[in-house]
Amino acid sequence: MNDEPHNLPLSSGTRPRLAAKARVQTDKISGKLALLYPEGVLLLNPTGAAIVELCDGQHTFQEMVTTLAARYKSSPNSLSSDVAEYLDRLRERGLLELISEEDSYW
Amino acid sequence: MKDTKDTGHAEITSQQMPTSSPQSSVPRPFGLLAELTYRCPLPCPYCSNPTQYPPTGAELTTEEWKRTLSQAGDLGVLHVLLSGGEPLLRSDLAELVAAAREAGLYTNLITSALGLTRDRAERLKAAGLDSVQISFQADEASLADSIAGTPSHARKREAAKLVRDLNFPLTFNVVLHRKNLGRLEAIIALAEEVGAERLELANTQFYGWAFKNKEALLPTRVQLEEAERIAAAAKVRLSGKMDVLYILPDYYGDRPKPCMNGWGRRYLTVNPVGDVLPCPTASEIKWLHFDNIRQHSLAWIWAESVAFNRFRGTAWMPQPCRSCDQREIDFGGCRCQAALLTGDAGNTDPACSLSPYRDVLNRIVDGAQQLLEGETPSSHTTDLQYRINPSHSLT
Repeated sequence: MNDEPHNLPLSSGTRPRLAAKARVQTDKISGKLALLYPEGVLLLNPTGAAIVELCDGQHTFQEMVTTLAARYKSSPNSLSSDVAEYLDRLRERGLLELISEEDSYW
Repeated sequence: MKDTKDTGHAEITSQQMPTSSPQSSVPRPFGLLAELTYRCPLPCPYCSNPTQYPPTGAELTTEEWKRTLSQAGDLGVLHVLLSGGEPLLRSDLAELVAAAREAGLYTNLITSALGLTRDRAERLKAAGLDSVQISFQADEASLADSIAGTPSHARKREAAKLVRDLNFPLTFNVVLHRKNLGRLEAIIALAEEVGAERLELANTQFYGWAFKNKEALLPTRVQLEEAERIAAAAKVRLSGKMDVLYILPDYYGDRPKPCMNGWGRRYLTVNPVGDVLPCPTASEIKWLHFDNIRQHSLAWIWAESVAFNRFRGTAWMPQPCRSCDQREIDFGGCRCQAALLTGDAGNTDPACSLSPYRDVLNRIVDGAQQLLEGETPSSHTTDLQYRINPSHSLT
């Protein structure tokens, strides 16, 4: 297990996308965003939901960080490693696909 | 339905889940196990279905299941396992998948895959089925078919390919026991070969038919140590490619499994005739009455029924559970296992080494340690009692 952000397979041009097996919907009981996948459910806190909603295969990692920094009135630099860590946790669960810059040409 | 008791919803229990709303002491359910039928083309001797089927009552109709799924969504359920028996024997399966999706549920099909034709699979895809779990019995046909009690291995392999062709996420499930543990490495290789995203290596849990067959199915300690080593190595080797889950055999543990993550806390089961149970094997507790979806709403049964409240929380617990610091972690283990092994569902699960009834379990485990002369673990299946299908009155 390595939590060091610099070891993540994320570059600023990577476009994260939720894995095909996962989908999101609003939970009727809590109003939170629920991330559903074969083994279970994650009820996301507002920050997690904001990150996951940007995992659409369109936004690059850099764009995600910029968008979130604007929304939470924070600096991209301070947010970057937190977002990367969160994405890495989703990736470890197999819930995230990372489209590299090269792939996106095709 | 093979091992949904322990593995089907493993992650719904992660700490992100609130245990209950502050206003109410009754938690919300997250997962529904819908046992659509007890009928099955396979007579697997480890099946956890009841050995005595409900004496009366027909299977729920399409409309009754649709109403149940809708009520489950309203109650907060987010996940449904469509299981059985063999759910593909319900000709209305695609219609029920669509109803579950409409109710906001993530839909998982738990199947032997017998009967999964391309036409059927495409209709399920169109209805919104999210995920498929196929059970395998071993890595190759002769052993697999003798465990399954019917020729099926080759058809499962074809069905697994079909499932991947249609881009369903595939979980490869195998129930492990004395007869197939020695084949674990080859089983893992098969799961890789068919392109499974997830592999559930589920040691047999002894309920229903499996309990009847426990002497024939219980592995030796040596077999288990080897299997754990192989599973751990595979988990590392396949990281990022296939998720490998190894379900511990609780007869060999020191602490009981947190069965269903607590009675009436996360999950509910609706059986083929509409009885609503806190867990799929709860009918092992003979004196407990389970209310039926034909008479009551799912919400009422979940919150108010005697059965769901009988072992909810910690107030029911005897010692040593009541004062144990693990009581909110393992919830005293499994009520059905306590009933089966001690005769009283209210006892501490003997799978806990602190249980006053631990010796009952130790005797069973000790009896399993010797391989009989000439016995290789998979050499014979003549000592198995195969599952019997329910009578046609249920169909």
